[in-house]
Amino acid sequence: MKATTAKKIRRIAPGRDGIGPGGSTLLEALKRNRQLFEQTGHYHGVKSLKLKSDNYLRYESLHARLRSSVVNAREMAKKISASPGVREVGESVVALYTPEGDSIALSTGIMVHVHTLSRFIQWMIEHDYETDPGIAPGDVFANNDPFISDVHPPDLMNVAPIFHDGELIAWVGTVAHELEIGGVMGGANQSTTAERFGQGLTVSAEKVAVNDVIRRDFLVRAQMNLRTPIYYILDEKAMVAACIEVREKVLEIVAEHGVDYYKQAIRSIIEEGRRAHLERMRLITVPGKYRSAAFSGHVFEGKVGASGLSTNCIVHIPLEMTIDRDAVLTIDYEGAGSKMWNPYNCPPSAMDGGFFVTLTQFVDFDGKVNDGCWYATKMILPPGSWANPMDEATCTSSAWGSLMPGFGCLQRMISRSFFARGFREEVFLGQVNTPIMEGGGISQYGGRFGAQNLECAAEGSGARGIMDGIDCGYVGWNPESDMGNVEVWEMAIPILYLGRRIWRDSPGAGKYRAGATFSSLLLIHKTPVYNLVSTIHSDKTFDNQGMCGGYPGPTARFQYVSRASNIRELIANRQPLPHVEGDPKSPDLQRLVKGDFETVDGVFLERPLRDGDLVQFFYNTGGGYGDPIERDPAAVQVDLDKGIQSLDIARRVYGVVANYNSASKLHGVDEDATRQAREQCRRDRAARAIPVKEWLAGQRERLLKQDFVREVKEMYNDVFGISPRWGREFRDFWNLPDDFTFKS
Amino acid sequence: MNTYPKDLIRDLIDGRLPWPTTKQVMSDFKDAGRFETYIEILQERVSWQERILLPLGEHLYIVQKGKARIVKCDCGHEFGPYTENWKLSASIFVRDTDEKLEEIYPGARKCDPDWMEIREYCCPGCQTQLETEAVVPGYPIVFDFVPDLEAFYRDWLKKPLPSN
Repeated sequence: MKATTAKKIRRIAPGRDGIGPGGSTLLEALKRNRQLFEQTGHYHGVKSLKLKSDNYLRYESLHARLRSSVVNAREMAKKISASPGVREVGESVVALYTPEGDSIALSTGIMVHVHTLSRFIQWMIEHDYETDPGIAPGDVFANNDPFISDVHPPDLMNVAPIFHDGELIAWVGTVAHELEIGGVMGGANQSTTAERFGQGLTVSAEKVAVNDVIRRDFLVRAQMNLRTPIYYILDEKAMVAACIEVREKVLEIVAEHGVDYYKQAIRSIIEEGRRAHLERMRLITVPGKYRSAAFSGHVFEGKVGASGLSTNCIVHIPLEMTIDRDAVLTIDYEGAGSKMWNPYNCPPSAMDGGFFVTLTQFVDFDGKVNDGCWYATKMILPPGSWANPMDEATCTSSAWGSLMPGFGCLQRMISRSFFARGFREEVFLGQVNTPIMEGGGISQYGGRFGAQNLECAAEGSGARGIMDGIDCGYVGWNPESDMGNVEVWEMAIPILYLGRRIWRDSPGAGKYRAGATFSSLLLIHKTPVYNLVSTIHSDKTFDNQGMCGGYPGPTARFQYVSRASNIRELIANRQPLPHVEGDPKSPDLQRLVKGDFETVDGVFLERPLRDGDLVQFFYNTGGGYGDPIERDPAAVQVDLDKGIQSLDIARRVYGVVANYNSASKLHGVDEDATRQAREQCRRDRAARAIPVKEWLAGQRERLLKQDFVREVKEMYNDVFGISPRWGREFRDFWNLPDDFTFKS
Repeated sequence: MNTYPKDLIRDLIDGRLPWPTTKQVMSDFKDAGRFETYIEILQERVSWQERILLPLGEHLYIVQKGKARIVKCDCGHEFGPYTENWKLSASIFVRDTDEKLEEIYPGARKCDPDWMEIREYCCPGCQTQLETEAVVPGYPIVFDFVPDLEAFYRDWLKKPLPSN
């Protein structure tokens, strides 16, 4: 790799007042770029894709090489990083940007950050970093401040300018998700912080490298403020290396194609991305208004270490999607609850990122994936809501806890449009949340540690329109999902895996079921204190939905724990050990092991664990698609044989009568009995169901009696307060007085 | 743009197309004539005569019936104008107790019925489960989708739409 040595870096050319295009300041360039779009409706005023039509091969090869430069840089950075998050699970991304901060080309990986990096660059431009602290070749700027731009603090961003002959012709940006960020609790996402303070080491748009060399004082700060600094420091070096690698490659490409051709091409590529998005929307969707809703419950009261400011609550996550006759997609979170004293708020940049990561998976997934699609969509975030807190002291550490259910709504609504248009193969209920093991304490090596176990990056996805969901292989925030090898997590965290198996009966049921997910059964190993904490999941509620008659996935999180157990004795005596859940009414961990067994309902905020304790951690799946009693019995039989479904659920939910042959160790379906069971199921439905209008009358009575638990009433009153429109719709629907509210 | 034979689209939407071919269709450029082929296939399958204007969900269609555009199940049951939420004319069963939830979600995995209920909407004609909702008690019924048929047919498909 040809490093640009310090001596060769040119001063800004004399007689020019700005480093932007044509000697303008970056701020002028940013404003001009926005005006060009507003005036012409085309990105940067590019009305014709002339460059492409004039010389298709030259244009496409330029784009392909820009794209491969960022893909290569990401693969290289993964080798430099030490953290299992980046190395094993691929929690990083590299992207190239115009001088004004619009993405031109991006690698795979955590695509959510393509747009958060845009915002970070534009924040620096708008805050005149060109003047102070100055932007020069060899500089690298870092950020993980969510209200400058980020999803949450664990995502550390690095951005570097690319100069050519004294002019800034591009930025390269990269992000690495950190497994330990020095928050109140070890690991990355916090559960117990009610404000931004305590989320972890915050870097707010700081210059962290000069002349390609990371500032020593920045590394000292990381060394002193993190429980496991090695991940952060090597990730930082990996990101600076990626920035240098892309910079050198871009300068090679510019030298080959000429800077003028390059400058025109990057604008055209983004305009082409915008047009391709609109074209695809017209081809695969149906205009109209779509609605969905999700709910994420959180239990804090009575939990060890929870902030006194965090009360039990239900996060209201409504979403309306409109596709207009010009194929412009608008999403509106009107009715979203107000910002909260807990870590489940989202900064606007996180919502940008969630929108972008969904678009790149559902609509804009080929060749020209860039900010072009951004210019063909709109998003409305109610001020003061959890999706737009307007208060930089708000905690966003576990933003994904609300972000993923929010964009799960978008995935389902876009899927409904694909269904109506006939592209059933694109229907995908996608994904819900990823319960994550966070925490820290004393490692198996005797030192202090903090580490997130990111094996949640490979859960069960929601179902699809023509087939089941993906078993143990999907997560919305990183399409390259990978759970990482257990041995790697055993090195990073004082645990030994007794089991990492499919969790039976986990998928949301349907004609096509969701993907199965897994549970991990862990022996706490060689540590006097492991303060395990869970986050990014809902309590007491399912935060996803089924579609066309399918059921939601069971995402009301719980874990099993067994303390002061006789596990060492069982191992020594070669007795049967627990590996899976077994019978949910009598779990194996309780049945096989003597210990203080407990089912922890909701967030895992408990007394620290220690050597010999056991914990069984359950992950999430998504919703099913279609009526479960229309599922092919042969598919249920395969699930029985694979241990994905139990005979009990096969019978009760799918109406499939099967038996187990202990000789062949396989299941057989009784087809006649199945047909009769399914006919009986329809009769049962007819007998127990009532007309909706009759049911509505009874529900209205319940509303008038206000017969709801406190958390439900508080959710409604909160939404009435922040969204008069949603309140009106609620009262109209139930035919309630205009001043109706719930008495708390 | 691609085109595919009707049989291939039929097998595709029924989930019977072999995976390699399905993967190819998913990865390739989309076939512009998909909607017309799709409607043709669905129209052949239903036993009633009304013209399908737009599929809404498994078993549910917006059809032209005389001057009206209504929602209709493939069993023949009719739910009323498409501009009104068909769920209001469906039948409903609500899982709002531990016992009812236990049937679907055994053990600790069920939601807390005080915080969330599962609503099952069935067709009064054939008892097919058409949609579910996992919502907080007291939540207004969600109106999933109101298509802009005029924009879709006239501006996008460039095809006439019978008057409403």
